[in-house]
Amino acid sequence: MNEELLPVQIADYLQQQTGHVVQVGPLKRFAVGFSWKTYLVPIAGGLPEADGATELILRLGPSDGLFAPYSAMPEFLSMRSLESSGIPVPKAYWASDDSETFGAPFLFSQKVNGAAVVPWVPVNTPPLDEAYRKSLGAEFIDALAALHAVDWSDRPIAQMAQGINIQNAALTNVLYWEKQIERWAMRPYPAAQWAIRWLKNHCPVAPRVAIIHGDYRTGNFLEENGHITAILDWELVHLGDPHEDIGWVSMPMYMGGSSHFCRLTEPEWFYQRYSEKVGFQVSMASVKYYRAFSLLKLAATHMAAARCFEEGRFNDLRMPAMGSQIATCLRQLEKTIESPL
Amino acid sequence: MNNSFPRLIDGMCATLRTEVLSRLDDEFARGQVFGVINLLNTFKSRADWSTDFLSQQLSVQCHALEQVRALIGNVAHAPEVAKLRTPQIVSPAELLSLRDSANLEISKLLDWLAKAKESLPEATALAIESELRQSMRREIEIELKNSPRPLFAEMSSGQESPN
Repeated sequence: MNEELLPVQIADYLQQQTGHVVQVGPLKRFAVGFSWKTYLVPIAGGLPEADGATELILRLGPSDGLFAPYSAMPEFLSMRSLESSGIPVPKAYWASDDSETFGAPFLFSQKVNGAAVVPWVPVNTPPLDEAYRKSLGAEFIDALAALHAVDWSDRPIAQMAQGINIQNAALTNVLYWEKQIERWAMRPYPAAQWAIRWLKNHCPVAPRVAIIHGDYRTGNFLEENGHITAILDWELVHLGDPHEDIGWVSMPMYMGGSSHFCRLTEPEWFYQRYSEKVGFQVSMASVKYYRAFSLLKLAATHMAAARCFEEGRFNDLRMPAMGSQIATCLRQLEKTIESPL
Repeated sequence: MNNSFPRLIDGMCATLRTEVLSRLDDEFARGQVFGVINLLNTFKSRADWSTDFLSQQLSVQCHALEQVRALIGNVAHAPEVAKLRTPQIVSPAELLSLRDSANLEISKLLDWLAKAKESLPEATALAIESELRQSMRREIEIELKNSPRPLFAEMSSGQESPN
């Protein structure tokens, strides 16, 4: 992938898709994201085939990235599945896993206005303004409940079902991430092995099989004036137990030193409001289970980051910094498993 | 190198913050600089000058002193030559390998215990599990004690945090 050629390649590709000349301005790469590369693509005069947009977002999944090789399809299928659902998701225009075009799988989507709330904050950072927090928190809960209430069976994402059901959702996930750890860990981690055994022995039954975002938290949505404008970063989307996203939301590393999930919602408020909106009662045993699972998944992500850097796949210096957080995840993982409900 | 390792790291971090970041506008590039600072801070708490490098110097010195001691052994009024010994220094690579072997052994024992638990006296099984898990816990605690605060906020935003 040659970044200097990228604007020309984008113009060529968009011309093929639209049948007319497209003028692309200078790209801007965002610092956000630790795996896919995200660019802002200015389009001179706008693009009628993309609702007249003068700016598009291009996401590229490089072959040397974290957890590569990538597929743009999960993200594309989920965004397409959620069109007109009322859930704030950018519109997906074009995507492909063909690496011929840009040297990597890619996805073009709508550019939505807004800013990300950073999940990681220094120790003495003041809490979010209360009215702002509550406004955003309510939408944060409601959007997740709405996502988990979507009947996906007749939508594009049904292609990803692969025999998943309420009985096997948990074990399927644990086995997948156990394989990821086997693939990426550069050394033995007895604490991870011990946790995997616990997870295999305590699999809950899901209340339903739902669309799982897989990385639902602050930092992965945009907001404007206290309202969520877009939920982003769908690359880990899959079908599974809705408690999985709640477990991820509840991880201590996203609380930013507060007692609020993702710096936004009191846990009790989250459980109550979410249960009312989604149509089933949150199981605290399942939340604990999936919080532990999430910590294992995060540890696996950090292991992959460390390995990719070590093998010279890339020189992104944020990756070894991520790798240094494996111990933090493993400590929290043990604490979670040992904690009462 | 005549400066201490930690002081050099502090100097590098300060230079990156005050001299480089203040002149750098690109968000992604700024995130990378914070990644470098994060790593340098990790080196500060976990690294020092290479023992291999110091061992080589010490070995040369000891050899020279031994030789001189032998040469002046019978010389009248010669100064006494100190007897220095090169210590047996285990290399970091050997330590890492030993740590991984120990962890593999702990993993195997935990696997065995999970299967054999029912056939063992309860107190024995509990004592074995307690020992193994205590060791896992302590390893992680030592790791965390030697980890600086991660700069994730700065790395993902490219912006210096207020504190």
